Amino acid sequence: MKRELQDWFTQRGWKPFKFQKEVWSAIARGESGLLHATTGAGKTYAVWLGALMAFGAVAQVKRARAATKNIALDAREKTAPPLTVLWITPMRALAADTLRALQQPLDYLKGEVIDDDGVIHPVAPGFTWTAGARSGDTATSERSAQNKRLPTVLVTTPESLSVMLSRADAREVLGSVKMVVVDEWHELLGNKRGVQVQLALARLRAWRNESDPQPACPALSARDLRPAQAERKGVGSAGARINPAGAAEPALPGRRRSAPSGGSAVREATSVGALSIWGMSATLGNLDEAMHTLLGHNNGTLVRGAVPKKLIIDTLLPPRAERFPWGGHLGLTMLPQVIEEIDKSSTTLVFTNTRSQAEIWYQALIAARPDWAGVVALHHGSLDRAVREWVEAGLKSGELKAVVCTSSLDLGVDFLPVERVLQIGSPKGVARLLQRAGRSGHAPGRPSRITLVPTHSLEMVEGAAARVAIAEGHIEARTSPQQPLDVLVQHLVTVALGGGFVADDLLREVRSTAAYAGMSDASWEWALNFVRQGGASLAAYPDYQRAVPDDDGVWRVPDARLARRHRMNIGTIVSDASMAVQYMGGSKIGTVEESFAARMKPGDCFLFGGRLLELVRIHEMTAWVRRASGKRPAVPRWNGGRMPLSTTLADAVVQQLAHAGEGNYDTPELQCVRPLLELQQQWSALPTPQTLLAEVLKTREGSHLFLYPFAGRHVHLGLASLIAWRVAQHAPRTFSIAVNDYGFELLSVTEVDWPALLPEVLAAGIQPHGKQETSSAQAGAVEPASPGHRRSGPPGGQRTTRSGERGGNLLHEVLASLNASELAQRRFREIARVSGLIFQGYPGEKRSSKQLQASSSLFYEVFRKYDPANQLLLQAEQELLAQELEIGRLRASLARIATQQLVVKTLARPTPFSFPLMVERFREKLSNESVADRIARMVEQLEKAAGGSVLVGDAAQVKGTLAFGQEGASDRADAAIKRPRRERKPSRPLPLL
Amino acid sequence: MSLPLSSASPPLSPLPAPVKAAVAASVCKVQWAGVELHLLPERALWWPQGRTLFIADLHMGKAASYRALGQPVPGGTTQENLDRLSALIGKHSPQQVIFLGDFLHAAAARTASVMAALAQWREQHVSVAMTLVRGNHDSRAGDPPASLRIGVVEEPYLQGPFALCHHPQLHAKHFVLAGHVHPVCRLSGRGRDSLRMPCFVAEAGQAVLPAFGEFTGGWMVGAEVGRRLYPVGGGVVWCLPGVG
Repeated sequence: MKRELQDWFTQRGWKPFKFQKEVWSAIARGESGLLHATTGAGKTYAVWLGALMAFGAVAQVKRARAATKNIALDAREKTAPPLTVLWITPMRALAADTLRALQQPLDYLKGEVIDDDGVIHPVAPGFTWTAGARSGDTATSERSAQNKRLPTVLVTTPESLSVMLSRADAREVLGSVKMVVVDEWHELLGNKRGVQVQLALARLRAWRNESDPQPACPALSARDLRPAQAERKGVGSAGARINPAGAAEPALPGRRRSAPSGGSAVREATSVGALSIWGMSATLGNLDEAMHTLLGHNNGTLVRGAVPKKLIIDTLLPPRAERFPWGGHLGLTMLPQVIEEIDKSSTTLVFTNTRSQAEIWYQALIAARPDWAGVVALHHGSLDRAVREWVEAGLKSGELKAVVCTSSLDLGVDFLPVERVLQIGSPKGVARLLQRAGRSGHAPGRPSRITLVPTHSLEMVEGAAARVAIAEGHIEARTSPQQPLDVLVQHLVTVALGGGFVADDLLREVRSTAAYAGMSDASWEWALNFVRQGGASLAAYPDYQRAVPDDDGVWRVPDARLARRHRMNIGTIVSDASMAVQYMGGSKIGTVEESFAARMKPGDCFLFGGRLLELVRIHEMTAWVRRASGKRPAVPRWNGGRMPLSTTLADAVVQQLAHAGEGNYDTPELQCVRPLLELQQQWSALPTPQTLLAEVLKTREGSHLFLYPFAGRHVHLGLASLIAWRVAQHAPRTFSIAVNDYGFELLSVTEVDWPALLPEVLAAGIQPHGKQETSSAQAGAVEPASPGHRRSGPPGGQRTTRSGERGGNLLHEVLASLNASELAQRRFREIARVSGLIFQGYPGEKRSSKQLQASSSLFYEVFRKYDPANQLLLQAEQELLAQELEIGRLRASLARIATQQLVVKTLARPTPFSFPLMVERFREKLSNESVADRIARMVEQLEKAAGGSVLVGDAAQVKGTLAFGQEGASDRADAAIKRPRRERKPSRPLPLL
Repeated sequence: MSLPLSSASPPLSPLPAPVKAAVAASVCKVQWAGVELHLLPERALWWPQGRTLFIADLHMGKAASYRALGQPVPGGTTQENLDRLSALIGKHSPQQVIFLGDFLHAAAARTASVMAALAQWREQHVSVAMTLVRGNHDSRAGDPPASLRIGVVEEPYLQGPFALCHHPQLHAKHFVLAGHVHPVCRLSGRGRDSLRMPCFVAEAGQAVLPAFGEFTGGWMVGAEVGRRLYPVGGGVVWCLPGVG
């Protein structure tokens, strides 16, 4: 088998790379591991040919034996082997391309060759492997054929794998899997889909260990397997090997890495015939941890792929920075230059950060260059599959000149013709920038090149900063979410459906994953109770049950209707209810969020799929549209998460600012942004790694504080809530919070003496040795010590480690500040959906399931009131801390702030740094004022307005005090002022029925 | 990235005509159809002259029907609703209570525990007459059992100067009191503060009550010429100035 495959390889004019050979032999030794390589480097064949060499021989050997002994093959052996390799890909769109790549060597092996004597004979006699794909896109006919018999290799998604696990015969059809390949593991690792994969792998691993004590590949003798450990130590010149003890693991702030449970992991990995798991990942700062998370143990082989190509990062600079818009703009002023760049290159990918931005840019490009219609295309996740496939085909063939896209084209097969990549707006992180840059320059000898197109001035600094970070090898790490109970609850029901489970066995299995290794017995018990009776106490949830243990202690789902609903709702991707967009009597174009469609009236126009559409009517969850022209359109908003600037990149930006502050404007980017940085310095100051800049401003809106910790928007939200909460302990207040990646704003109607208060509230949690309070949160978690909340603890408690106590205080304080805001409620939305609280409805279902639909906020309220001990509420808080607010980063930021010198500047007018925050429309609130007081103030203001005094929007007022920068975009600026600052639903007449 | 181009909706009229000052009493007294009515912060309407209490959208047993259909919603909302109703009846001693539709949430809500709680509650108020104007949920959930002695009528049900309905509508002769839409409104002010609250809505010829039930959602109502909003929050019914 090995020889035949190598023949195939060389026939195509390829020579195996060193890393490919390494992977082949590692798989042959029965090892698991992680291959780290860029797209287009040949990683698919590294793993796939390795799999064929190791497992493809089985049938052949049997066949050969049968042939020599002249035994007739029974019918079973004539058919293809059962499902042997599972190939998991994060995107449905990738499944078809991956399948095509896997199919090629199969076709060769199943074909025939003519040897030197002119005799025709099969390449690999007896080789009968089949390949197939299964995802949400798979046709029903193919699906039912697969239900009878799955192919030997199946390409699938995490969601479809979970659905297969929920089949009553799951073990029968999936128990034969010998190898699982997880493609683009870096995309899954850091989120709940990755946790879903971890749980599914644990299931497959357990079945493999129980059912097949025989060697997986007869081609290998026991002798080959036994010294695997020793061999691993000996080999390893190029491929980085992992120390099984994990000594080299990087310590991550705020996240405790879980050790593999006991020695079972090692036994598992080396035991004969264990499930072989291989991941493929792009560049990450923590590859060792990424591998551990995938395998559930440290006993794997990390193989580094071919050296990345040469990389060029540059920035498209506006002719004059001072004519440049500031924040919340789309950067369309850069359009002429972007057109010029596209014109110069053969094929260009234009990445944007949001789907709406992609729509706007596409429209602007076509408006400016009508001759590009047909050769410039648009690609994002809400477009219909047919449209997306057309664009992808055009990219592959090189027919398209440019494609405006979102992260929808981050992953996947190579588009060889792509020569340039433009990134509109901040790349947000170094890893993401590398990933996107890697989409270009696949032709031999060409470098990868990414050009940043700033949408506001400070983003120019990011370009220079990213170059420095990459040169110094600073790349972000990604870590698995810890013990998300919502995913566990879903998994419990899935497994109960998939043949049922015995609680203790499943607990052992779940704990073998990195995500749940440290899960407490109490959490497990709670999850079991939740699926059984809704909560810990039966009394709270009368008449409810989902999964229950039968007389033999095997948990099953007795209700067929619930079973069906669960299978339809498996998954951890949470999206808003969406509505199909379709031409009157014509084709489907894609989907928009229901909430967007609900705000539109028939006759309204919107931009979608690069076209101006007029809404005709909404019927049966479909928005029927026709082409329109001339009218001013709305642009749909899709509520995607907003990615924070990574610490790595943010740190690099501050370095650059400090560098500039010392008068060094030595890169094109810094030179361009120089006038504005100098203005900032003149009116206020520039942040540096050693100082924390605070700006204070009074306007008619109230009292503003701007603080610039440069820690990313998530951490800023946590910091802002914390500081607001601490200040509100002095007197009840309501704060409006705006954040961006550089800093945040706290706005209060009532006056706050920030210069006096700020040093105090910043110091409250971070006295001199605050730096030590890194990871001992639990130690003092129950010790509140804020002013006015101090509980007298036991005398001994006072002497316990000071740092631990403070760490606990911080956690307590942040939690308290959360209770005063609406953040936890928002987080609860995803949790409610994943754990099955919110019923999404069946895909393509025409009738709405209204009687079962309630918003997550309703659930949140009713849980808080009637079942406050519900662990999903607790999870909402914990996820908020860990993911939304990144408590680890938050602690690190507070520790850093403690070492920084606070610089408070009282402003006469908004500075270049503060203006984007001031006009930010998306805001959080924190209040400990009585509701009645707040309403009274708002009503009073309405009264005043009604009495004749004119309400002026804050944007207009701000503009009056602005002395920089708007002349270039004055039309747009005026339009911005006329617009209401808060999104309002249009008022509708009461329905007359 | 905020997108200024998206979903531009017209701002509220910037120059509202002068109106009377807002009343911040816990009860808001209004004159509709020529009679005095009290908007109660308990999200109910009291007609002193007719000694009648109007309640809209109770959605009794909503949580129970979720549980019965496999959604784990904790219990307690039903009893809470009934306790609040009892408190209101105790406070105002009405001759009759009229439910403006959607008394029961769904057929699945007719569980033993919900029905037992209802029966017990009805026992406590035997002397009070009760009438249900049938709403869309009632059509599917079925009428309350006869043992509860709640009269069931179709909309419009004429009482005094009012046409009592479930669905908002206009009536040729009478002022309409209705429910169905669970109106809520958003109030915003300086310092970018804003709050979402259930509200009463009054227009020419009709008024809509907020939902009385716990665990019910809301339908956002904006300001408009000829429409008055009375949000309920902080234990107070507020009267907002009208626009235009």
